[in-house]
Amino acid sequence: MFAYVVRRVLATIPVMAIVALFVFSLLYLAPGDPAAVIAGDQATPQDVERIRASLGLDRPYLVRFGSWVWDILHGDMGVSIFTNLPVTTMIQQRIEPTLSLMILTLILAVSIAVPMGVLAAWKQGTIIDRAVMAFAVLGFSVPVFVVGYLLAYVFALELDWLPVQGYTAFSNGFFPWLENLILPAIALGGVYIALIARITRATMLEVLGQDYIRTARAKGAGQGSILFLHALKNAAVPIVTVIGIGIALLIGGAVVTESVFAIPGLGRLTVDAILRRDYPVIQGVVLLFSFVYVLVNLLIDLVYTLFDPRIRY
Amino acid sequence: MPPLLEVENLQTHFRTPDGVNRAVDGVSFHVNAGETLAVVGESGCGKSVTAMSILRLIPEPPGKIAGSIRFQGRDLLTLSDREMRDIRGNEISMIFQEPMTSLNPVLTVGRQIGETLRLHQGLSAKQAEAKAVEMLTLVGIPEPARRVREYPHQLSGGMRQRVMIAIALACNPKLLIADEPTTALDVTIQAQILELMRDLKRTVGAAIVLITHDLGVVAEVAERVIVMYAGKKVEEAAVSPLFRNPKHPYTQGLLGSMPKLGSSLHGDEGRLAEIPGLVPSLKQKIPGCVFASRCPHTTDLCRQVAPALEEKEPGHVAACHYAVKEGAIAA
Repeated sequence: MFAYVVRRVLATIPVMAIVALFVFSLLYLAPGDPAAVIAGDQATPQDVERIRASLGLDRPYLVRFGSWVWDILHGDMGVSIFTNLPVTTMIQQRIEPTLSLMILTLILAVSIAVPMGVLAAWKQGTIIDRAVMAFAVLGFSVPVFVVGYLLAYVFALELDWLPVQGYTAFSNGFFPWLENLILPAIALGGVYIALIARITRATMLEVLGQDYIRTARAKGAGQGSILFLHALKNAAVPIVTVIGIGIALLIGGAVVTESVFAIPGLGRLTVDAILRRDYPVIQGVVLLFSFVYVLVNLLIDLVYTLFDPRIRY
Repeated sequence: MPPLLEVENLQTHFRTPDGVNRAVDGVSFHVNAGETLAVVGESGCGKSVTAMSILRLIPEPPGKIAGSIRFQGRDLLTLSDREMRDIRGNEISMIFQEPMTSLNPVLTVGRQIGETLRLHQGLSAKQAEAKAVEMLTLVGIPEPARRVREYPHQLSGGMRQRVMIAIALACNPKLLIADEPTTALDVTIQAQILELMRDLKRTVGAAIVLITHDLGVVAEVAERVIVMYAGKKVEEAAVSPLFRNPKHPYTQGLLGSMPKLGSSLHGDEGRLAEIPGLVPSLKQKIPGCVFASRCPHTTDLCRQVAPALEEKEPGHVAACHYAVKEGAIAA
């Protein structure tokens, strides 16, 4: 098991290297010139050239890539072209809201979606099942920003129950923190809930037809124990897998959600950086997200062993 | 003394998109305390559905169970789900055909044996595990203290069936329903499992309903036999009269199709006798005898009038117009 974890962590190195090369190349190939943006409309071509040289953007592609990687390996993600702050500092400042949003969404989504899927499978073919499935289709098809604005309009503007936007740090108390995050979390969680609920339902339906469920019934086990112990534990592996894959959805969705609810997180930072062609920031954030995603997947693989004794590493 | 279990006019039907499937159609039988009753018939004759109906394990809908199933004087079909759960695994328990898939792969063996004890006897987790070790010893699993913490995939098929038996017997049931308990096992393991069931029946004193298509198994362990065909009971007798003097042509066919060890060495025909054709579709009501389409003795009467179950000899019942008191039908 330990050897496996070490192997997997080592295996992330080539993955991250490829991601790094990709991120770097995409920005290199993308149109737009940060030097021109900084210089402004009035600048002469000479000004732009000077700024470009000062940013090191005139050096060859491979040289720039090499020095960028070398710096990252030393914990230095470079300096933002616009704020002149180190990228690591900027990420540190923005990471809490994003992490909060993602964790809250994750908890909320899993605790709603899994029971929903179980219920739908148990009541297969009934009105409850169809309601859950209809909700899932809705969750898939309505975009995050529509749900977000709708929620903000109803619960913040009309009913005035919750703040419209913004973020309160966790250190200022749990409830103020929750008040600001609950609407964004629901908006962001929609697709995620739909995805998990559907997979839970499908897997549970398959498991509920297995012989050992009949055995559990023949033993006199109650409905709750059959669903949540005998069946759900067997259905756990695909459900956990989709929860892990869904983290990617959350990362993408966080960018939009943070814009809708004006949350000063990494998502906003990314959007702003892209608009300003702030290469070091974009590269830093994307690399971080990729790293998180790779780690989450490792974690998921390890979680399998908790649910299924047949899986051993 | 009334019988332990009395099934009367059991009808288990399934609604399907293309008509009602009468899987069990008016079957009656009884089981006395401590007795072993075998239910035999080929695949699709309704024997498993009969077994599942007793414990009400048929999903309703699409299934529908009618008739009456009296167990110790109570009609199981009138009980609430809660009351039914108290009976399952406690007073009536069941062993299934597939030991490889009938145990939950993600729970330890001990947990699965202990579950019945915790449900029905209110034991704590610790007591249940101790009792589980005891049960594993009883069913002859070596190193029970270690095995109790293992998962089903770490056990062989024979061991898993022993675990199933341990689960079934943990609460000292009065009736054990065994649905083809040895079919999926190697022949040598089959013999061991049958031996075990016979021993345990003596120690626990449970009555057994043994569902099987294997007449060898029937001869080995049963006292009384009912033969089912196409959802109906066609013959019932004690074991030795049934084997010596089968009345129903279907039973005769079944016995005739049994291979005898070494028969080909003695210059007999190389080919086994078979019953031609297939079990008829249970979706249409058959006007006459259900076996008419495959019976070698069919007449117009058979095709038009369903034969009633008649006592052909004391304690020997068969549903055939032509089964006579003495011996088989003259062909």
